[in-house]
Amino acid sequence: MKKGTLIIIAIIAVVAIGVLWGVGVYNKLVNGEENVSNAWSQVENVYKRRADLIPQLVATVQGAANYEKGTLTEVIEARAKATSVQVDANNLTEENVAQFQKAQDNLTGALSRGLNVIVERYPELTATKGFQDLQVQLEGTENRITTERAKFNDAVAEYNKSLRRFPNNIVAGISGFQKKGYFTAPEGSDEPVKVEFDF
Amino acid sequence: MKRLFILLLTMAVTLFPLQAQEAWCPEPTNRLVNDYAGELSADEVEMLEQRLVAFNDSTSNQILVIITPTLHGGEIMDVGTRIGTKWGVGQKDLKNGLVILIKSKCDEEPYGDVALLPGYGLEGALPDAFCKHIIDDEMIDALANGNYYKALTKALDVIEPVCRGEYSYKEYRRKENREALFGLLITIGTIVLVLLLLAWVAKKSGGKGTGTGTPFTGGSHTGGYWGGGFGGSSGGFSSGGFGGFGGGSFGGGGAHGRF
Repeated sequence: MKKGTLIIIAIIAVVAIGVLWGVGVYNKLVNGEENVSNAWSQVENVYKRRADLIPQLVATVQGAANYEKGTLTEVIEARAKATSVQVDANNLTEENVAQFQKAQDNLTGALSRGLNVIVERYPELTATKGFQDLQVQLEGTENRITTERAKFNDAVAEYNKSLRRFPNNIVAGISGFQKKGYFTAPEGSDEPVKVEFDF
Repeated sequence: MKRLFILLLTMAVTLFPLQAQEAWCPEPTNRLVNDYAGELSADEVEMLEQRLVAFNDSTSNQILVIITPTLHGGEIMDVGTRIGTKWGVGQKDLKNGLVILIKSKCDEEPYGDVALLPGYGLEGALPDAFCKHIIDDEMIDALANGNYYKALTKALDVIEPVCRGEYSYKEYRRKENREALFGLLITIGTIVLVLLLLAWVAKKSGGKGTGTGTPFTGGSHTGGYWGGGFGGSSGGFSSGGFGGFGGGSFGGGGAHGRF
């Protein structure tokens, strides 16, 4: 074989190996992105589950004998705000996730304050089986939110890691893969939360 | 009132997912009944184990029982979800696992706590409020009296029929067979393709060198596919002892109650 032919074959081989490697990295990133999207849809599911429970809670409290208007206004408003912030799974930038989290965390706060008020004002209501079942459902939903948020963060961590590592970031840059946002602990939460109560 | 405080605490945990990730989780064993607190006698452990293995063999639903004197400061629902995920309770595709986690009273932590945690696939059969009712109506009294065996059998008497309706062994088997059939089709397709290729090569090279080596490669492929198709199923269904956890997953559903 001629020397020229050998060189051409060698170049083709190197290029072929490079392309194969690039395809491998690309597919890995696609997989990672798919995992993140799945985890995100689960996150949306559990938050929607909570949003769906709130009208039930409102209806139950409104049925109380001495119901005062405005008891749950804050909760209703926070729910409306939270459900209005939707993030597409293809657009999970840090700002979008942060915005989504802010609205949902705001609802978490409003809901926990609202429940405190309900317990203070309507002790008979909170003793009923119907209200207790609702409470169990809300509690289960909060557990699910914790779980799905952690799973989403894990999926994003894995994806971001493979995205930013050299030389994968070259492939990511060419094919337009973007870093995705996490759920974060809110500001000033470096101290562990203190909730004191008697059992 | 207590329940509400627990709910508020759970909400606080939601706001701090980073701290919550450090919770304790025991290392997986190959048994369905794990009593780290010594609340059950050896006979009771054996009877429960056999009951749960039989239930796994007949329905593919996996129920894991864990009794521990301490959660090492973890929140019971969080620890239970972690255990279910780490141990892989339930079949991977049906996600039909259930974790029954009991924190027994001990001198350092003189309160008990019991949680029922269904995997994703059993959330429909065991909604949160239903789990709570099972705990309140079937378990709490017996647990408070220290009769753990009675609490568990009474709860299982309710849980088993409900879960049996959700995922039968037959349904699980059907799914398995479909996958095996798919593997078989791929195998046959590969063989046909290899034979066609061989025929073409043989024709091109004028009948010289039929290449006995190549069909052999096809043969080893067959072995690979069959191994894949059936190897997975044998894990969960060996008769006799418990065959192992199937890789189910958990989303944090369920309920708990203190005693």
